[in-house]
Amino acid sequence: MRRLYAVDEVAAGLGLHVGQKAADATALVPELDYADADPEGDLAALAALSDWCVRYSPAVAVDAPDGLLLDIAGVSHLWGGEGPMLDDLLDRLAANGIPARGAIADTAGAAWALARYTADRTIAPPGGQRALLEPLPIGALRLDEKSAAQLPRLGLTRIARLTALPRMQLARRFGLNVLRRLDQAMGEGDEALSFRRPASPWFDRLAFAEPISQLEDFVRAAGDIAALLCKRLETEGKGARRFELTFHRLDGKAFPARVGLSIPGRDPGRLVRLLAPKLETIDPGFGVEVVTLEAQGVESLSARQQRLDAATEVAAEEGLAAMVDRLTNRLGEARVWRDIPYPSHAPERAATRLGAMETPAPAAANAPPTPPWSPDTPRPLRLFAQPEPLEVMAKLPDDPPVRFTWRGRSHKVRRAEGPERVAEEWWRKAFEDASPDRVRDYYRVEDDAGARFWIFRAGLYGDPAIPPRWWLHGLFS
Amino acid sequence: MARLEAIRARIAALEAGTRTPSQVLPFGHEAIDRCLAGGGLPLGRWHELTGEGMELETGAVTAGFAALMARPLAARGSVVWVMRRDDLYAPGLAFLGFPAERLIQVCARDQAEALAVLEDALATAGVAAVIGEVEPVDLTAGRRLQLACEKRGSTGLIIHRRPYGGGSRSARAPSGSAAATRWKITSAPAAPDGQWGIGAARWTVELERSRGGRPGAWLLEEWKDDAPHPLRMVTDLADRDLATEEVRAAG
Repeated sequence: MRRLYAVDEVAAGLGLHVGQKAADATALVPELDYADADPEGDLAALAALSDWCVRYSPAVAVDAPDGLLLDIAGVSHLWGGEGPMLDDLLDRLAANGIPARGAIADTAGAAWALARYTADRTIAPPGGQRALLEPLPIGALRLDEKSAAQLPRLGLTRIARLTALPRMQLARRFGLNVLRRLDQAMGEGDEALSFRRPASPWFDRLAFAEPISQLEDFVRAAGDIAALLCKRLETEGKGARRFELTFHRLDGKAFPARVGLSIPGRDPGRLVRLLAPKLETIDPGFGVEVVTLEAQGVESLSARQQRLDAATEVAAEEGLAAMVDRLTNRLGEARVWRDIPYPSHAPERAATRLGAMETPAPAAANAPPTPPWSPDTPRPLRLFAQPEPLEVMAKLPDDPPVRFTWRGRSHKVRRAEGPERVAEEWWRKAFEDASPDRVRDYYRVEDDAGARFWIFRAGLYGDPAIPPRWWLHGLFS
Repeated sequence: MARLEAIRARIAALEAGTRTPSQVLPFGHEAIDRCLAGGGLPLGRWHELTGEGMELETGAVTAGFAALMARPLAARGSVVWVMRRDDLYAPGLAFLGFPAERLIQVCARDQAEALAVLEDALATAGVAAVIGEVEPVDLTAGRRLQLACEKRGSTGLIIHRRPYGGGSRSARAPSGSAAATRWKITSAPAAPDGQWGIGAARWTVELERSRGGRPGAWLLEEWKDDAPHPLRMVTDLADRDLATEEVRAAG
């Protein structure tokens, strides 16, 4: 049976309501214009709207199906107060044809209730949500369906009735959920909101009287806003590892440009140099009206700063760090790295990647330290990601082949060294797949031209089920 | 003989032009060092390394030789390795005595990007040497690399390596390259000493071009112990003086 999923104001005025049978509704209003419900589309639209709201605060949480929660602590001064900020937000939404109601309160629960059950644009004074909430109906508490239906039947129609009851009784009769929702609205209980990103005080915005669309204006705006945020970072003796500069277009689309630093920094000039090449890809459309900059991974810089002045050696590392940043931001994080030892006997796992300027994470206290690679262990200079199969001649057990063919070319083995036996890391496999026979015997061989290969035999001779095979795993210099 | 030396010095001065005389890294063997302008591998310049056959694709021998050449430089600053295909195996570098844990590795997407990264790294303070695996460098790009080297005095070692899969634009390097030296390295059978194991690696090393110096060819061997230079000469394969004397004797 088809029912109404949502109605607009005009339809509500005609007596239609959510949950009404579609047939009844069309009987009441024959010219009813309706479309199929699309909850996923609604959610996607809400997510897009939450992206747009990042211009007001970096902490935006989607409150499905029809709400957005913004944490505006420490941000409202940028608009000259909470009132002007709320007006700006709702006016812009209205101008874009999105009907919306808004409220500001200490808690997410109170703001939710005020936005839906009181006059539009209600602002609860700090600590003053109780007086505003008490006259509201029970539905303003975001209760589950069962409680929302049960409470009014018992005469508990207003929140004031509920707060008048002893807490013990409430919890026992209606379950903890009701009490929790009540506390969350009144500011006595915590509520975890899943923000699209955590609230950050390291956030700044620039709004333009006239939209900008020229590249040089973008660069200048980036410089201005970077100077603003970096000045604040400097005052507090901090630096950040990541910066996200977002250009908010007139039509509500947002274009972020991100840069990362290998050593936390706060030099606006350096930031702009890293950002500048990314600004070219921003499509200005009809113009950009707001630019926001957020710093992430903020940490103290003062300790590092002192060391910097001390020696010229560290200054040289600054040059290196700056280069690593340039390369990382141009090529991507995965393309600039340092290899460090990893405690594994399997050759392909003996090295692990680390950011070029990072120091390895300290190991657990009881873990043995990872030994460095030994200069006495023969290892090839090139290791193939996938060992390449070899055709071998003169298979003698426990001896390297006399001749092998690799990539269609035959090599005569002149000298060989080995074997070095490497057992399979059975603890990384399913129990049935592991077997003590799964070993690799590595040999270093030299062909008659002097080329050196790292070959191995997988498996042991004598097992008829799995005949051993020969592979080339790497090349020596 | 003295006149010959004087002419050589004048030619070297002409070739060096107005550039400031650069530092050198001697091999510690007279036969090699006298083929190089200034008596050693010129620093603050860039050098070409090439192989032949399958080596142009795998680049193992050239990479090992470059790592050994750069090993003395690693003590003076950072080393950056720029590649197109990330199959360099750090434990293998450690096997050559190279401080692999401090090596910064960069994987570029294409030739143009690799050259840009090379230039950037060469011009960075604190970088002593940059090793790059690229296709042959044309004259303009080579000049740019040279300018980047001169900025901070860092040394470039450019390995010719064909990217897997893709075709090579040219097998040979364009003539008239801006490199200070050009080396061709091929693997050679190890010493026939009959001992257990396969012995220290050997290479046939041809110095094909040397600005302000002259070409040469030697059989070099890896020197494992704490030596002044990680490469040791086994035999001189193309001693000019020796060759001319033989010709005279034959004539």
